[in-house]
Amino acid sequence: MTSAGPLLAAADLSPDLIAMSRWQFAVTIAFHMTFPAITVGLSVFLAAVYGAYLRTHKPVYLQIFRFWKRIFAVGFALGVVAGTVITFEFGLNWGPFAAATGPILGPIIGMEVVTAFFLEAGFIGVMLYGDGRVRERTMFICCCLVALGTILSTTWILAANSWMQTPAGYRMVNGQFQPTNWWHAIFNPSFPWRFPHMLLAVLISAAFLVAGVGAYYLRAGRSLAFARKTFSWSMGVIAILLPMQLWLGDNVAGYYVGPDQPAKIVAIEGHRVSTQNSYLLFVVPDEKANRNAVEIGVPWLGSAIGAKDLSGKSTTPGADAVKPDLRANVWGSFYGFRMMFYGSMFMFAAAMIAVVLRLRRRLYYAHWFHTFVMWLMPIGVIAIIGGWMTAETGRQPWLVYGQLRTTDGASHLATGTVIATFVGFLLIYLTMLAVWIGYVIRTVRSGPDTLEVPADGR
Amino acid sequence: MAADFWFGIIALCLTMYVLLDGYDLGIGILLLGEPNRERRRSMIEIVATAWDGNESWIVLLGVSLWGGLPAAYGAMLPALYLPLVIMLFSLIFRGVAIEMVSSSPRTPAVWSFAFGAGSLVAAVAQGFVIGGLLNGVRVERQVFAGGTFDFFAPFSVFTAISTVLVYAVAGAAYLQHKSEGATEHRAAASGRVLLVFAVPFVLITALWTGATAAPLQLHPTARGIAFWLLVVVAVVAAGAAWIGFARGPDSLAFRGVVTAEIAGLVALFVGIAPLVVPPDVTIDSAAAPSGALTFLLIGVGINIPLVFFYNWYAHHVFRGKYRLPAEHRPSGMTPVGAAIRPTKGGDRR
Repeated sequence: MTSAGPLLAAADLSPDLIAMSRWQFAVTIAFHMTFPAITVGLSVFLAAVYGAYLRTHKPVYLQIFRFWKRIFAVGFALGVVAGTVITFEFGLNWGPFAAATGPILGPIIGMEVVTAFFLEAGFIGVMLYGDGRVRERTMFICCCLVALGTILSTTWILAANSWMQTPAGYRMVNGQFQPTNWWHAIFNPSFPWRFPHMLLAVLISAAFLVAGVGAYYLRAGRSLAFARKTFSWSMGVIAILLPMQLWLGDNVAGYYVGPDQPAKIVAIEGHRVSTQNSYLLFVVPDEKANRNAVEIGVPWLGSAIGAKDLSGKSTTPGADAVKPDLRANVWGSFYGFRMMFYGSMFMFAAAMIAVVLRLRRRLYYAHWFHTFVMWLMPIGVIAIIGGWMTAETGRQPWLVYGQLRTTDGASHLATGTVIATFVGFLLIYLTMLAVWIGYVIRTVRSGPDTLEVPADGR
Repeated sequence: MAADFWFGIIALCLTMYVLLDGYDLGIGILLLGEPNRERRRSMIEIVATAWDGNESWIVLLGVSLWGGLPAAYGAMLPALYLPLVIMLFSLIFRGVAIEMVSSSPRTPAVWSFAFGAGSLVAAVAQGFVIGGLLNGVRVERQVFAGGTFDFFAPFSVFTAISTVLVYAVAGAAYLQHKSEGATEHRAAASGRVLLVFAVPFVLITALWTGATAAPLQLHPTARGIAFWLLVVVAVVAAGAAWIGFARGPDSLAFRGVVTAEIAGLVALFVGIAPLVVPPDVTIDSAAAPSGALTFLLIGVGINIPLVFFYNWYAHHVFRGKYRLPAEHRPSGMTPVGAAIRPTKGGDRR
């Protein structure tokens, strides 16, 4: 056994095995992502609410804090156990990938575990169960530390994921990535755009959840002080963050995906030939023949959006510009992107309507709008999963862009074994999702604690 | 050199995991034999305030292995695929079960069973992981090249049984330390019986290790002496635990079990280092390049005392015997439950 010599070739791995390992990873990480997408933002929200309580001592803030920490508690626990799965899957299903990238990604995720994971796990006990056991100021500090932990966690994870998109600060030695410059590896080219994009995404997702619950109470005429405060805060946050997010998202595409990963842009746009100036709305891809069996698009619009050329003369690059074995799958990138983009349009509409209603002092009374916002409750999470599908399926056939192919990173397992565990994960995760949604619905129905001093209404 | 230091950190993570999550998995195992619903609930509540901090050590263990010894991580995990995935399944169930029981005023039988069964299966799976690893992993050019059920062998059945017994003893000792009345008495009684089985099983497994792919290396002499001294310490500590279970004081049994676990694990490391993935992968052959190890030692290493502080603080805030003072809560509602349940009306501040 020597560390020299290239890794065992993956030539004889069955495509089914790789597909199953990818599916399992996709399902487990999408399930995991659902919870941080909510709890990162909620932890910031809870710290802000407790801070407001500490300043003003208005009971409504305590009421909000106690209600939302109940939902936060179970969501956080689910995020922790589902996250543990991910840590192991890097090695379980992607052993050769783990061996090759360990010297770079291992330390980055290691930093995440010690600076973030333990920080959250340590202080969340006090935050959740310490009410009345520690002083208010200590409680506030614990809330801030948990929020800090979740944001640090996002930072490190995005550094690791961005490194896989735009690897930097390394050299290859015998098929292994070895660090040469940690600054370049962590602050790799796509990180400065992808990190704020993700951070705003999780804050916005949590805000839509909080807004949806507030809207439900406003519509039902229950716990009105609670409902107005949370609805106003969350819609305000959305109104500020959403325009920033649209600008950032455009830059993610323009500054890193376009120049660094042209094949991904091609898959997002869905064109097969490089001569069209249309923007495609709907396609049924046929990868083998490199064509779209069905294709519906708006002429001229592609030139205007893609190249910012209103004359309609700019064409969008198509798959014929990419070598066949480097093409990304159109299903994931095309529809993932549209899930995110169309979702963001709904969110933008909600944000702007809320501003108008607020200026006209109708924010708390327009029940049709409350219904709309209630339906938008999961939209942030859906858009995040769409964006993630775009980024990850668009990276194919690479695990580490341009350096390590997905087929070379997979563990040599029996296909049947992976099918069995995949079915197991599916069943367990569907059960857990049902349990979680049921828990949130029960908690919302039973409502926040009544105030010690009834402030208003009920 | 840096790799050896880092191996020390990995060994520390494994030890901390066995000590901390070991006792809460053990409490889950004992819960399966507890007929009384209220006592079952208090067992879960004792675990609820600390489990996520305890379980975090296995995440740090995994990541430390990945960053510091990537070739070992990449070969070992696919080899132990099935027991590890089953362990993950069980950890999901029991983690969610703890929160669902805590947040419910009743004690749903399904969730408390899920907590117990999840704990038992996780312990069995971890035993198979250790056994399967010591039994040897087929590695060709740094990549796992064996079959799904390679981990399953008579030896790994023994490691699985030993793991369950050790965790159950640790759980009983922790319960005795943290509870009162019937729960405490039952814990002490079952702890004593379990200890009688645990000690011979662990000793047989330890001797059997000599015949696996990771034969104990007891040369030079100093190493052999250290190994046998540690074994003696472990046995003496187990004896102290026996006395603690029988006569008290309450914390003696837990101190004894913890000492025995530490001594036993260190003896294992002394016996098989520098082998990481038997039969061939060693610390040096699997180590990450020095740039990665330096970053790990400085970045992650410096944070480990902080991690200890968080663990200590989480246990410190909820120190002492677990009691059920009822004045602030409806009957049957426990502190953890009360903290995340709506408390209609008169709240304390």
